Amino acid sequence: MTPPVLVFGEVHEGRVASASLEAIAVARELAGPSDPVIGFVAGSRGEAAAADFARFGVGRVLVAEDPRLDAAPVGAIAHAVTAAARSSGSSLLVAGGTTFGRELVGRLAVRWEAAVATGVTEATRVDGTLRVRRAIFGGRASETRRLEGERSAIAIRPHAFPPPVERPGALAIERVATGDLPASLMAPHRTEVKAPDRGAGPGLTDAAIVVSGGRGLRGPSEFHLVEDLAASLDAAVGASRAVTDAGWRPASFQVGQTGKAVSPQLYIAVGISGAIQHLVGMVSSRVIVAINSDAGAPIFKVADYGIVGDLFEIVPALTAEVRRARGR
Amino acid sequence: MEIVVCVKPIPEAETRLRVGADGTTFDAEGVKFVLAGYDESAVEQALLLKEAIPGSRVHVISAGPSPRTDEVLRASVALGCDLATCVDLSSANSAADPIAIARALASALATVPHDLVLCGKQAGDDEAGLVAPALGELLGVPDFGYVVDLRWDAARKLLKFQRWGESGLELWEAPTPCVIGLQQAWNDPRTAKLPAILKSRKAPIARAAPPAGPTSPSSRPERFELPPPRLGARLIEYKTPQEAAEKLVKLLREEAKVFP
Ligand SMILES: Cc1cc2nc3c(=O)[nH]c(=O)nc-3n(C[C@H](O)[C@H](O)[C@H](O)COP(=O)(O)OP(=O)(O)OC[C@H]3O[C@@H](n4cnc5c(N)ncnc54)[C@H](O)[C@@H]3O)c2cc1C
Ligand SMILES: Nc1ncnc2c1ncn2[C@@H]1O[C@H](COP(=O)(O)O)[C@@H](O)[C@H]1O
Repeated sequence: MTPPVLVFGEVHEGRVASASLEAIAVARELAGPSDPVIGFVAGSRGEAAAADFARFGVGRVLVAEDPRLDAAPVGAIAHAVTAAARSSGSSLLVAGGTTFGRELVGRLAVRWEAAVATGVTEATRVDGTLRVRRAIFGGRASETRRLEGERSAIAIRPHAFPPPVERPGALAIERVATGDLPASLMAPHRTEVKAPDRGAGPGLTDAAIVVSGGRGLRGPSEFHLVEDLAASLDAAVGASRAVTDAGWRPASFQVGQTGKAVSPQLYIAVGISGAIQHLVGMVSSRVIVAINSDAGAPIFKVADYGIVGDLFEIVPALTAEVRRARGR
Repeated sequence: MEIVVCVKPIPEAETRLRVGADGTTFDAEGVKFVLAGYDESAVEQALLLKEAIPGSRVHVISAGPSPRTDEVLRASVALGCDLATCVDLSSANSAADPIAIARALASALATVPHDLVLCGKQAGDDEAGLVAPALGELLGVPDFGYVVDLRWDAARKLLKFQRWGESGLELWEAPTPCVIGLQQAWNDPRTAKLPAILKSRKAPIARAAPPAGPTSPSSRPERFELPPPRLGARLIEYKTPQEAAEKLVKLLREEAKVFP
């Protein structure tokens, strides 16, 4: 029998994170027609979470049903994953672009002696050789890497692959033992989880659409124009450093060299000039729209669509049109 | 507390990237190397902890071909770090593999006292985010990435920090030793004063040999590509803001196919 391809499912409140489910399609493609794809979940609600895999056609799921893994550091999860990978005979693991998924493959590089890569946007396996493509330098370049060795573990980039397609089927759960977890890995404690505020954290880095505002908005009381547009599109909110430095919005909103790097499907820059330090954080977005009153603003050089005009007129009209077009 | 900060030299943001001669990586000729962005946050965080915990030292380590390593080590010393070590990785191959770098850093750490190892959550050149978790595994300690705030609870002898997890901002408590990957400065990193910069030119840099033996399995860059240049925006012609909005929504929906 050919070795199965293992998909890591990051569990949150009994559900597999949607970014983890994006890994299923990639695993299927790498597995080839005859190799099975199997899932892995950990924690006291692992069995419930396994149903999410079955919903997307992954019927065989390894479950490390262990309450110690509910709020454990990624190092402990790496132990459980390695044990599961060994018991299933798998030689390839695919993780979604979740925060743990990306860190997990770093631990597996050592624990499971795997060749690894993160932020993968394309993956192919020809005659057993795994090659991946990934964006580097904040999206200003890309590279192809060859993973060498018997085992490999990759984390894909969020939104880089189409969402998984539902094909509900039967579910067969296989319990896997976690075994001993070193005390050093179990000493840290997660004491609390706060839901992210809009525009901050992975909400911003992982959003499919980002609307960012710049100094052109003139002040903190006008910034809601950007937030309203974002809300109409279900988008995350970003800002230029001019905005965060002036304290109109917190530093967690900042996009750019010293802020967050984003690469959504759609990035809308409102009243942002397009300084190089801002561009390096967003230029790898798939489609860029710029709204600026100065036709010579550098942002128009990287944008796909531009509206030269007064944002105070354009943005409210755009928000209204988006709401109308989406029927809300 | 003995604090170690791992710092990576990367091309400064303004660099015009070019494809290198063998096509596998960028052309480093004439490129100015600086501290990776998140590493600035890590250095700042280390210095804040040092100021808060009496008797602490900050040791910066960089692995790679010198002199670019020495540049960022001196820059860190100018900011207030106490000791500097370079792991000389002249072989371009291991310098291009984050796991080989983690192994080099771990081997140097065998002789460097460390209660806390700080890294950037990912370097702005390879964007891998692999060194901190691999280092944690090599040192046999936990690692935490995406950390945005880190404090020391002196009474309970615990690190307290916040990190971005998949479902929000997580609050953690952890004993030392551990490895932390910092996301970004929540307070502006300090800048070095001129006398400190001049003094750092003569700061001693300890040299550590890279680990012997092969580091396989590994990942090897085969091709470095630059995206085709963007052609510039298609400007939307309009008479009223409503018309501009309608045209843009239509383009996003029908042409770009990104309208939700
Ligand atoms: C080391 C370093 C790191 C940096 N890191 C970052 C970073 O991470 N992120 C970042 O963003 N910046 C960063 N910067 C700052 C960067 O250089 C720019 O200063 C900043 O991006 C400018 O922000 P802005 O575009 O909002 O403001 P401005 O450059 O002032 O642009 C405002 C724009 O609004 C337009 N405008 C004005 N009024 C209207 C209107 N009524 N309607 C429509 N348009 C209007 C103007 O035409 C102008 O183009 C960094 C700088 C340095 C030196
Ligand atoms: N060559 C290096 N020398 C020292 N530290 C490094 C090196 N490469 C990476 N690091 C550290 O690891 C972090 C993440 O790098 P990476 O895994 O390459 O994205 C960086 O921000 C540094 O803190």
